Amino acid sequence: MKAVEAINLHKTFTTKKETVEAVKGVSFEVEKGEIFSILGPNGAGKSTTILMLTTLLGITNGKASIMGLDVEKQDKEVRKKIGVALQDTGVDALLTGRELFYTTGRLWGLSKEQSNERTEELLELVGLTESADRRVKTYSGGMKRRLDLGLSLVNEPEVLFLDEPTTGLDPRSRRVIWDEIKRLNKNGVTIILSTQYLEEADELSDRILIIDKGVVVTEGTSDELKSRVGGDVVTFTFQKEESVQIAKTLIENAEVNEKELRITVKNGAEHIPIFMNTFTQSNLNVKSVSANKPTLDDVFLKVTGSRLENETPAESKQSKQSKRPSRGRPGRRGSR
Amino acid sequence: MYNQQAPFFTQLGILTKRLLLRVIRRPLSELPNLFISAFFLFIYDGALGRVFGSSAVGTSLDFAQGNFVNFILPVSIISASLSGSASGFYIIEDIESGVFKRYQGMPISKWAIILAPMCIGAIRVLVQASLILLIGSFIGADPATGFSGYLAVLGFGFLWGLGFAGYSVAASVKSGSSQGAQAASFFFFPALFLAPTFVPREALKGWLSTAAAFNPTTYVIEAIRGILIEGWVMEVILPGLIVGSIFALITLAFAVTSAKKIYEKG
Repeated sequence: MKAVEAINLHKTFTTKKETVEAVKGVSFEVEKGEIFSILGPNGAGKSTTILMLTTLLGITNGKASIMGLDVEKQDKEVRKKIGVALQDTGVDALLTGRELFYTTGRLWGLSKEQSNERTEELLELVGLTESADRRVKTYSGGMKRRLDLGLSLVNEPEVLFLDEPTTGLDPRSRRVIWDEIKRLNKNGVTIILSTQYLEEADELSDRILIIDKGVVVTEGTSDELKSRVGGDVVTFTFQKEESVQIAKTLIENAEVNEKELRITVKNGAEHIPIFMNTFTQSNLNVKSVSANKPTLDDVFLKVTGSRLENETPAESKQSKQSKRPSRGRPGRRGSR
Repeated sequence: MYNQQAPFFTQLGILTKRLLLRVIRRPLSELPNLFISAFFLFIYDGALGRVFGSSAVGTSLDFAQGNFVNFILPVSIISASLSGSASGFYIIEDIESGVFKRYQGMPISKWAIILAPMCIGAIRVLVQASLILLIGSFIGADPATGFSGYLAVLGFGFLWGLGFAGYSVAASVKSGSSQGAQAASFFFFPALFLAPTFVPREALKGWLSTAAAFNPTTYVIEAIRGILIEGWVMEVILPGLIVGSIFALITLAFAVTSAKKIYEKG
């Protein structure tokens, strides 16, 4: 039995003015115990897919099951098996963390004693014991996310859905959430997370599904996906910005990305002298060069023809440094 | 495995307690409505009490039977019952903050989610109406039915508040926004003033008299006045009780059917 099975899922939203097909035939399977990421840009259909799988949104067409239970026909049973932390699920900011855990426990049918016990366990798990008696409105963004994550665990779910769990968090808080996700997974919880962060998908996932404009564009492990790019990515920058366009005409399959020239070749390091020679002969002065294993960003570029834009202006100030590896800067990429 | 479903009344109790904590932690939000209700009582008694109070005894203006506080107190009670309309705002707050979505993903009865804010609305009405009665008794209210009359008046306040709470929940859910809920609460003003607010119905003239006859608030005000001024006169109390109950049932049904909208999966 698969933890999650989605077969040709479609979701259409109809308003008076228009009909929008947000999800157009998404299919995938998740094994028990996996961390499975759904990666894609804003508007790709990630959240809609998660909402359908978590019984919170009707399925226009297709079928889905969680732990063998039909999402549409057995929605009540499905809810007992899953934990959900959505991007826009909220917490009552006037209550304390402890009150929220206790209330949630009681609503899940726990006795007062069980609920108190579970509250302490989960406060400890998400590192909020010291802040437990503070009202949630005084919590930082990272603490709220940890609280949200903890609340989604009250019923000891077998499958946990996390919709963009670290969006808007600073790098340190993001890392804390990642550690929690890994710890939960180690304890046997199957995790399905949607993200627009390449680094997040790369760091956490056993397998990654890339979706764009409501359709699946590719699926596999991080290494499988990267190997499909077909080699290393050699990146050049030039003293004069206009040189990049000239350089593009000199090398077959070269691509221009902003001010960089990117060439995908096998054994990238060995090709660097050859490329350098070509550019020197054409009087193009190279400013920097690097050869890297492909990233998920390169995978996304290859399969969709565009880059995955994943940084909001608000985030760019606080996490610019941490985003660089995933935004295609030479020589700083991850190589998982 | 901690994945059972709590019994309905446990769910209702927990959700109501959560909202009660919200109310207690925002005490200032209780003050405006209480202030307005008390203000009505003081101002109307101050402005009209001399004319229609003890100095009117023995004249054709003696409809308050010498105690204008008894006559005007029902208006403040009805005004206090507007605090029941906060129920809709609780639902909207939960929808807008995403708390509602969290509950949707849990095995919680939708009726518990809808009834909890209505219960809180009714509790608020009881507290505010009690305070208004207390103020009224300090400035001279003297029910013909004695202390039990106060309890009956509170019962009417609770019933009317429940009705407003249901209306508020329904309007909020229908509109889906706090602005919509706010706009819907303006219904209160015609409901209060197209009624025998300051003088008996017989003294109203023309269109206002007709409007008052169709306004359910009229019958509730008259019933409360009956309790305070005349005693246990069932011909006056019973229509108020029936109208108040029908209003509460209709708005409750309206709230419940409207709630289906937020449970649609889209």
